Amino acid sequence: MPQVERSHGADFEEVLATYLAALERLARAYEADPETRRDLLQEILIALWKSLDGFDNRCSLRTWIYRVAHNTAASHVSRQLRMRRQIFVGLEELPEPADSRDGEDAVAHRDAVATLYELVHQLKTIDRQVMVAYLEGMDAAQTSEITGLSARNVATKIHRIKHVLAHRFREGGRDVR
Amino acid sequence: MSVEQIQASAGSFQRRIQGRNAREYVAAIAVVVFFGWEFSRTPDLLARIGFGLMIAGMFYMVWALLSRGSGRPLPEDAGRASFIEFQRGELVRQRDLLRSVWRWYLGPLIPGLAVLLATSFNHAIQAGRAFPVVFVALFAVLVAAVFFGIARLNGRAALKLQCQIDELDEAGR
Repeated sequence: MPQVERSHGADFEEVLATYLAALERLARAYEADPETRRDLLQEILIALWKSLDGFDNRCSLRTWIYRVAHNTAASHVSRQLRMRRQIFVGLEELPEPADSRDGEDAVAHRDAVATLYELVHQLKTIDRQVMVAYLEGMDAAQTSEITGLSARNVATKIHRIKHVLAHRFREGGRDVR
Repeated sequence: MSVEQIQASAGSFQRRIQGRNAREYVAAIAVVVFFGWEFSRTPDLLARIGFGLMIAGMFYMVWALLSRGSGRPLPEDAGRASFIEFQRGELVRQRDLLRSVWRWYLGPLIPGLAVLLATSFNHAIQAGRAFPVVFVALFAVLVAAVFFGIARLNGRAALKLQCQIDELDEAGR
């Protein structure tokens, strides 16, 4: 194999080793159907494979990877929207949860994760990206770089995310992250 | 998933996108076949010119859809653009496509339609009866109404996209 290809392949193997789990979570945030989600993940990995040569260090590799992944997933959502006619809402439009006393009973981790993804699937693409970035532990600056939102808007959305998560997953203050 | 599997699936993925695009243009191909059949069987020179212009118009329309349409793969520099930049670019492209529908979608069909309608009108007048003349005139009005209706619908869709573009610009400030 030529030296250039092996380098590209080696770089991509490192990307896969480091980011595959996060990309699987990202794909799950954008697509509820398991089969379509596998296609989306494949689409994201192919897009990363093709784009890696173009990485020019103007941003961090992490930002680059998340930009490609989110942009690929956003295109996927646009295509699905044209077919399914779904309606997504913004973070501000999410309905308040029912009586929070019901949520104080212990909820299995798997149920909480499923509920979280159900919540994410209702969101408009841009709010979904902020939510995913927040749940992956990214700071406001990184989120701003990936989404293109102003720092002010990122801060506002994160504040709303914290409010939503606190109300929906109140279990003695356990952080769903 | 290994690197080799990704590489191997990149080619089949691209073929799947192309297959998806090809299905979208089956209707256009069927129309071209129909006009081609009419072209081959009519002895009227003017009608042949009309059918020929319609076929050329359909080919141009299909080419325009293929080069500007929605089935394009993600650009390889997608990592350089934030989501807002990327999405804005896509929305602007789609908005401009809708705004220019007269140029690439409706316009190419007008010369062929005009010649065919003129041919039909000529035959109707030569037949010397009122009904065929009225029928062709009404058909011409109907075609014009459909064309303007399509342009109007696309104009409205372009306005909706402009609202989304404005929202993105606001979110980025």
